[in-house]
Amino acid sequence: MRQLRVLARVAVETVIGLKRGGWSNWLVISILTVALTIFGGVLQLTMSLKNVVSSWGSQLEISAYLKDNYEPGKVAKSVSQIADVQVVEIVPKEVAWAEMQSNFKVAALNNPLPNTLHVRLCTPEAVERTASRLRLMDGIEHIRYPLKVARNLNRFRQFLEIAGAVVTAALTAATLTVIGNTIHLVIQAKHREIEILSLMGVSPWYIKGPLILQGAAYGTIAALAATMFLVVLHLYLDPYVRDQLLSFLPVLPQTLDSGNLPTFMIVLLLGVAVGAGGSAWTSGRYIKI
Amino acid sequence: MIRLQNVHKEYAGRPALINVNLHIGLGEFAFLVGPSGAGKSTLMRLLYREETPTRGQVMIGGVNLTKLSPRQVPLLRRRLGIVFQDYKLLPRQTVTDNVAYILRALGVDELDVQRRVTSALCVVNLEDKASAFPDELSGGEQQRVGIARAIVNGPPVLLADEPTGNLDPSTSLEIVQLLERISQRGTTVLISTHDHFIVDSLRRRVISLKNGQIVADVDSGLYEMEAKG
Repeated sequence: MRQLRVLARVAVETVIGLKRGGWSNWLVISILTVALTIFGGVLQLTMSLKNVVSSWGSQLEISAYLKDNYEPGKVAKSVSQIADVQVVEIVPKEVAWAEMQSNFKVAALNNPLPNTLHVRLCTPEAVERTASRLRLMDGIEHIRYPLKVARNLNRFRQFLEIAGAVVTAALTAATLTVIGNTIHLVIQAKHREIEILSLMGVSPWYIKGPLILQGAAYGTIAALAATMFLVVLHLYLDPYVRDQLLSFLPVLPQTLDSGNLPTFMIVLLLGVAVGAGGSAWTSGRYIKI
Repeated sequence: MIRLQNVHKEYAGRPALINVNLHIGLGEFAFLVGPSGAGKSTLMRLLYREETPTRGQVMIGGVNLTKLSPRQVPLLRRRLGIVFQDYKLLPRQTVTDNVAYILRALGVDELDVQRRVTSALCVVNLEDKASAFPDELSGGEQQRVGIARAIVNGPPVLLADEPTGNLDPSTSLEIVQLLERISQRGTTVLISTHDHFIVDSLRRRVISLKNGQIVADVDSGLYEMEAKG
């Protein structure tokens, strides 16, 4: 019961601190909202692009040409057991030959084509690895796949991952600085009060607790505002962007939606964590009891 | 209740206290006197653990302050009442809230808080100013609020660091007589001061410091005995 009363007092002190902050609260929240909105937008863009790249990657096919005396169904079964293989499509040589005959004028020959497997993978980075394994399998005579495209897609994915991490780190540092400076100003304004409380024997966490909660409140409000902006942007911009891109990127519409909820959750968690963490660090640094 | 054994305190190699030995018993009332720079404030800061001695031991109620961890310091300070020259009141809180602050921070039940605050304000005769803010009070009244805050948690030791430094002589005497009454209820009271008038008026134990050393320790003393010591 006593502990609950102390917690209630810490909450009251937090509210008092926020009330005293006045307009400076809104300044901090505005800056944090901008930072978190940029972060959320970049995160969403990065995640969407990664999904697009993955989709493109999964469209990459490895064509495996089989030896004559092997049963395509058996080989296809073995291939489908390889990790990262999503779909294995059998193209019997009779079908391929008939198609060729319908498309091109070809001489009346015996069917020279082999049975073929079209292998689709989950991710583009699995293409080279899987191709190497296929080459070693019994029954496979030869394989063909777009090596350069696979490599470029992998490079682009890696670039997106690094760019996302750099942007995240930069914006986290920026928000931490904003929170830290704000709480530092609050500590300076309350310097005398903190000294008095310390001399009265008030516990350090009772002094620092309201400041940490104040930072967490800034982060939470800013994260909610940023999420609201991102939802609005998503609702109004997505249809337009989709229409514009649909003509030359047919794979985009299926993948652009993914990543919204995780983005909002990450923005919210980051806001709270950076708010509370920044003020905890600043309180620890500047309040010596 | 208060014991200092061979206490040395140096700041950047310059001695502020030199081999101080002192004992003040339970419920005793004493003045710590001396000119500016004698080491009074340093000694007081050692007692409420704002500083630690370079050498020697400082004990309060059997607790060795030199061995306290930072986490234990608030626990010590809750057992001390501290009165300051500049009152150190929270300007945006009423008299009641200033006095009640520590009790609320400790999670004391609100009814108990009100009872104890009323009792403390009664001791310092400020019941009628309970709703006032510090800047609405005179210096003497502000110091009485400081004393009410210091005694509200029922501490066995009360330390007053130049409590009359900002007050006129008659108000100073009132404040010191108030502290004397508190001492008569069983609280150990140590007042650091360089105010001759109040020391000579009360004629209680006087511990004289000069250049960081105790030069006299006299029961029923006068301020000037320091010079003779």
